[in-house]
Amino acid sequence: MQPRLIKKGAEADIYLIDWFGRKAVSKIRSPKPYRHKELDAVLRKRRTIHEAALMSAAKATGVVCPFIFFVDPSRAEIIMEFVKGSNVRDELTLSLCEKLGQCAAMLHSGKIIHGDLTTSNFIIDGKKLVLLDFGLAYYSERTEDAATDLRLIKEVFTSAHVEVKGSFQRFMKGYSSIAGKKRADRILENVHEIEQRGRYARFT
Amino acid sequence: MMLCLGIESTAHTFAISVVDSSGRIRSDVRDIYRAPEGKGIHPRDASRHHMEASSKVLHEALDSAAVTMQDIDIIGYSAGPGLGPCLRVGAVVARALAGYYEKPLVLVNHALGHIELGALLTGASDPLVLLVSGGHTMLLAFSHGRWRVFGETLDITVGQLLDQFGRSLGFASPCGGKIEEISKESSGEYLQLPYAIKGNDVSFSGLLTAAIRIASENHDRLASVCSSLQETAFAMLAEAVERALSFTGKKEAMIVGGVAANRKLGWMLRQACERHGAKLFACPTEFAGDNGAQISWTALRQYRAEKKHISIEKSYVSQSWRLDTVDVSWRRP
Repeated sequence: MQPRLIKKGAEADIYLIDWFGRKAVSKIRSPKPYRHKELDAVLRKRRTIHEAALMSAAKATGVVCPFIFFVDPSRAEIIMEFVKGSNVRDELTLSLCEKLGQCAAMLHSGKIIHGDLTTSNFIIDGKKLVLLDFGLAYYSERTEDAATDLRLIKEVFTSAHVEVKGSFQRFMKGYSSIAGKKRADRILENVHEIEQRGRYARFT
Repeated sequence: MMLCLGIESTAHTFAISVVDSSGRIRSDVRDIYRAPEGKGIHPRDASRHHMEASSKVLHEALDSAAVTMQDIDIIGYSAGPGLGPCLRVGAVVARALAGYYEKPLVLVNHALGHIELGALLTGASDPLVLLVSGGHTMLLAFSHGRWRVFGETLDITVGQLLDQFGRSLGFASPCGGKIEEISKESSGEYLQLPYAIKGNDVSFSGLLTAAIRIASENHDRLASVCSSLQETAFAMLAEAVERALSFTGKKEAMIVGGVAANRKLGWMLRQACERHGAKLFACPTEFAGDNGAQISWTALRQYRAEKKHISIEKSYVSQSWRLDTVDVSWRRP
């Protein structure tokens, strides 16, 4: 099977390949010609290594993510399991919001911050919810960092999913069911704090 | 044909412009407050400047459009976001004119003005917008009646980053042009600086602190510091644009705001857009920064779509008026 480009992401190209008889995905962070060579090399290598390491670690928290077959930091390439299903961005529902919240709470319980928690990074296949793209993920126990994840998904809900009313509340319901109400409230308070730091935020 | 007189006074620029309903800019007169070298805008000094400049700017705007106040149909003013004392000068001038000449008064969101004028001048129809200026660093796309934020700065704007860095070296604001000029002398060496992308958002405050420190330690390599700062900050913006393009699938991108005048940023964004098959529209440099036409044109569109104006008693200014709270009825979808 010839490698076939299936997705041009923001920072990586995704190819469908054959990996010793299995259908697999090759994610390559190609150099960006507009970026300074040194900065480009550092970012691509760092993100490839982080992605592979944290994707494996995430599995221990119960979050489902693709299995990794091979990592080549010098080429900034990761070969991983192909996940079928559809992108949550294209079919977000309230019950999915709740599942997303549970997934985020599980990840945070393992002290992992995703760093790019958007609806387009989730794949749904029947009942199975798969989380992708750990390139910006890192370890942290700080409430502020967990809040950064939640603030981002809130931003995505209010920009890309206006028609799904009450999405963030349902997300938080799912999040609280795993993290506990006390923890969830503390993070939510921190989300508000981050928003207040933003430009032209209302001082309420 | 309708004529609108628009008044802009959110920050350092006091501007008045006459625009007609076909989108022709009949006049655009500006007077810019210049802060002392190494200093930022002092709101009180800037507002005093605006007050003193207002009468001259008004007369020139009318004269160069070859119209009188009687020919004007509506008056628009920039009601925020911006610096309170500066905004109030624009509002006072607008109210006085509207009251004396009995013209409808329309208030305009300054950021919306950048986008509407950018769309008029570039012909972009449904773009992902990168609004980069001293007051804004935002990625927006239009949906469900409002400009929605797909990414923004979590702390300071890219304009503030460049200005505050430049001011620490004693430059006069705005410093973006000077930093770009110095960068051109760089050997191409890259000094490591913090690169902070958080999902679709960016954060520049750590970068500013690091850049100021590195500049103070490397007086002999100022060109390298400047170029490294540009490389890092603009790469972050380009990545945020790529993320938003990939997420929204938009085939147009438009860059507006004062920092849009930066050549290096335009060059990087063009390549980022090409990768996603998107066309980049850059607001012409002379209208990238704050101007009166952005207010006139937006006021016209708003007034023609909504047929509403505000009474002088109820007119106001709002220092923190976020663009994503403004209903836009004349754009589809």
